[in-house]
Amino acid sequence: MVIVQRKELTLAERLYLPEIFRGLSITFRKFFEKPITRQYPEEPLPTDEVTRGQPRLVVKDDGNIACVSCGMCEIACPAYAITIDGGETDRQIEREPKRFEIDMLRCILCGFCEEACPKDAIFMSNELELADYTRRGLIYDMEKLKRPKSALQPRIDYVYKINKRWRRTQA
Amino acid sequence: MSGAQSGPTLTRQVFEYTPGTRPELDHDDPLHGELLKLNMGPQHPATHGVLRLGVTLDGERIVDVDPDVGFLHRGKEKSCESLGWHKFFPHTDRLDYVQPLMNNIGYALALEKLGGIEVPPRAKVVRVLLMELSRIMAHLIYIGTLGIDLGAVTIFFYSFRQREELYKVVDAYTGHRMNNTYVRIGGVYADVDEKVAAMIEKFLADFPAALDEIDAMLTRNRIWYDRNRGIGVISKEDAVAMSLTGPTLRGSGVNWDLRRAQPYSGYEEYDFDVPVGSVGDCYDRYLVRMTEMREAAKIAKQALDKLKTVKGDVLIEDRRYVLPPKDLVHSSMEELIFQFKVVTDMRLPRGEAYHGIESSKGELGFLVASDGTSKPLRCHIRAPGLMNIQALPMLAKGRLFSDMVSLIGSMDFVMGEVDR
Ligand code: SF4
Ligand code: SF4
Repeated sequence: MVIVQRKELTLAERLYLPEIFRGLSITFRKFFEKPITRQYPEEPLPTDEVTRGQPRLVVKDDGNIACVSCGMCEIACPAYAITIDGGETDRQIEREPKRFEIDMLRCILCGFCEEACPKDAIFMSNELELADYTRRGLIYDMEKLKRPKSALQPRIDYVYKINKRWRRTQA
Repeated sequence: MSGAQSGPTLTRQVFEYTPGTRPELDHDDPLHGELLKLNMGPQHPATHGVLRLGVTLDGERIVDVDPDVGFLHRGKEKSCESLGWHKFFPHTDRLDYVQPLMNNIGYALALEKLGGIEVPPRAKVVRVLLMELSRIMAHLIYIGTLGIDLGAVTIFFYSFRQREELYKVVDAYTGHRMNNTYVRIGGVYADVDEKVAAMIEKFLADFPAALDEIDAMLTRNRIWYDRNRGIGVISKEDAVAMSLTGPTLRGSGVNWDLRRAQPYSGYEEYDFDVPVGSVGDCYDRYLVRMTEMREAAKIAKQALDKLKTVKGDVLIEDRRYVLPPKDLVHSSMEELIFQFKVVTDMRLPRGEAYHGIESSKGELGFLVASDGTSKPLRCHIRAPGLMNIQALPMLAKGRLFSDMVSLIGSMDFVMGEVDR
């Protein structure tokens, strides 16, 4: 425990001129420093694989999406942003989503869907900007969500890297 | 209440009207001696959110204050009960939104106590590091907003500049600048890697000098001194009786810090001082918070050094609560079942647990009760800010209206947490 020091102001500290010059000496120094202002829309913040932007669906190299419409992301989503209607497919995986929508107005970019997906089908992209004229336009359907796997590859690698745990107990 | 207040006694003329007579009107006083009821807020820049204060004024003097909370009520406790254990984490971010990671950790600690989960040592160190950085973040907001309320706009920019550096650190670690949601039951989601550690190291190296600058601008500044000293004196007894916690309590000279009194996350291994005040006024609370930031930087430095020696996982290996690693899910049927189980139906054992942490505002506690299912039976959040607001009427009575701003600022509450 330390008791914080409080001292009465001295006469010099109560006078106007010395104090105003002392204060200004600090603020004026800032004139000679490099400005730190970022001109936002022209100079966006840098993004990297750690950035959790809007979730996107992975399109595999054969052109199909990896999703099997298991509904795990729908269940894991705390904002109820995901809506999936599953259906049958002739492909070997048997099931695929007929409708896959993420309401970007509800999505809080938490990344729980990415964690929950057992098929590596949904990943957080580095896309952050979100604007439209209508609400309906911000409910993204499958076409708007699809991204080639190569575009999401840095994030996929990153998620695999932070998922490297418990290796001692693996034979 | 203690007689710590020393304003002049109130002179109040009550306007009495008897029908048929014409009272003598004091034409200089437009209210003719009546009291004025003034609504401060809910949209007032100095009330730090949506707090409405019904202030009764006699001229410039405050006769009574009636805080009205609840404008930001979003039903967080009920959300927790309907969402389930894990899905409530993003909601904790939005309680005290200036220190999201601290709230995450508070909630996780309560759940871990309920489940009897022991967090790996490295996760504990990472958590301490995150908590102390969050504390600095929150106190910087306090300094900045109190500064802007009392007319020191420069301080707002200086403190937000430091906060921006912390945002960058947190962004590099979690991928978000705010509302991070990076703590999980049984640890934290990702490890602090070298790049992030280097950023924190750099921040901690520059921070004391930046704090000195703020210190030089404020602590001995006459306006700051006069507007904070002797205002809102809380005696030790009152502070304890009103169940104040955190810097507000310590400003009154009570040496009570949960990091010392009930250590969690391995705080007993760190070397730090708990600053306490001697008088209990706004100035003491300011000094306590300034010192606390320096101490927090010290603890963060120690945690950073510890990270170099304490190795291992940052998430517990317990497939009842923690998702299995991604690649194993692809190759093993059991892991896939665990994945489904944890996402859809993660249960905590039947029982009840309370865990309080020393957040930047005071004791932030989560009381969770479970009936053994995947949804909490009850989740209660003990918000330190709510108690701080309760002290306002006692402190404001008899003071000038302009002191109200210092008082609100020095109690340092965030309405997201108070109304929850
Ligand atoms: S990021 Fe979170 S909120 Fe957004 S869709 Fe995924 S789980 Fe839902
Ligand atoms: S969890 Fe993955 S595979 Fe399942 S529905 Fe969601 S995106 Fe598709």
